[in-house]
Amino acid sequence: MSLSSRMIVVLTSIGLLSGGLLVGVDILTKERIALNKKREIEQAITLVIPGTKTSQKLYEEKDFAVYGGKNEQGDMLGFAIQTFAAGFQDKILLLVGMNPALTKINRLFVLDQKETPGLGAKITSDEAFLKFWENKECTNPLRLRKPPVASAGELSPSEVNTITGATVTSEAVLNCVNSSLEKVKRLKEEGKFGGDGKNGS
Amino acid sequence: MEKMAVKSLAHDFSKGLWQENPVSRQLLGMCSTLAITNAVINGVAMGLAVSFVLVFSSLLISLLRKLIPSQVRIASYIVVIASFVTMADRFLAASFPSISKSLGPYVPLIVVNCIILGRAEAFASKNTVARSLIDAFGMSLGYILALLILSAIREVLGSGTILGYKVLGTWFEPWVIMILPPGAFITLGILIALANKIEQRIKLGR
Repeated sequence: MSLSSRMIVVLTSIGLLSGGLLVGVDILTKERIALNKKREIEQAITLVIPGTKTSQKLYEEKDFAVYGGKNEQGDMLGFAIQTFAAGFQDKILLLVGMNPALTKINRLFVLDQKETPGLGAKITSDEAFLKFWENKECTNPLRLRKPPVASAGELSPSEVNTITGATVTSEAVLNCVNSSLEKVKRLKEEGKFGGDGKNGS
Repeated sequence: MEKMAVKSLAHDFSKGLWQENPVSRQLLGMCSTLAITNAVINGVAMGLAVSFVLVFSSLLISLLRKLIPSQVRIASYIVVIASFVTMADRFLAASFPSISKSLGPYVPLIVVNCIILGRAEAFASKNTVARSLIDAFGMSLGYILALLILSAIREVLGSGTILGYKVLGTWFEPWVIMILPPGAFITLGILIALANKIEQRIKLGR
């Protein structure tokens, strides 16, 4: 066999073999990976809407989704908004848990972020950031408290804490939550979630 | 004769640990080494993923070494390496989603990790399957050890924890810089300087 045909045969067969192998690997792992993603979101929803037994996607567009959480009896317990903020480094994927009337934020959860470790990355920490977001009134846009306070009790109901040294990240999260809230309220008025969102129809 | 063979096999293995350690002596694969050693768990996961790819690609490449024409060898090696990397990546995503998430793009980037292509070109393509495997195991272990040391220093000083458990009390204010890129460069620099110093001592002692 001439050299060039040998080169073609060897490289083609290596390529075909590895391609075939990878198809097998993909078939074996595809379901698990999809399940992991789904489970991650479901777990986060139970966290931001306490008491949730079943959740359901009510609305979806690019980088934005709304889930509804229901208890065993099928009563609507609240909404979870999946949205993203333009962080310091990359997108911050957030899940915001709301009450059914969209007047109160239950909790915030960070699904994914690539902020600076030790500074902006503190948004994933309960102690440093997330606890200051629990049970916030949000009929009006939320505001940042600067400089930050030590305990959640010192904040007014519509104020949230800043992270020292990570103002960009804190502001990004705040602006994202505020604009997502407005959007969700508008969507709800337009009846995009089916029914009035309270009886869980 | 047999003694010689055993001795050279032992050398094939042990050279990866110190004399030709991929991180401290060959300075290969620095990009991922610097990037993922901010926590011990990441260092271990990365070390294992690289070891898996290194061992299996060394095995396959030394098996195929007589079949592959030298003109297309690099392309062939890369295809083989990329297949194993994809397998490792999918396995991590399926079984250890949180580790896969924290390693991010650095798992797929093992494809271009110089340690693996370097061993394929410098060793597996010229030696028997047995020797290539032993060489790959030695290099893997050397790489894992280097990552372990690096990530342990960075995690203790940068977060005050080891594998997520608090080892330093509340009095310790973590040095954030240690888990940021500069901390990686500083720690690696000091470690390489230390390795050089020790190597010098060994040589002088002879």
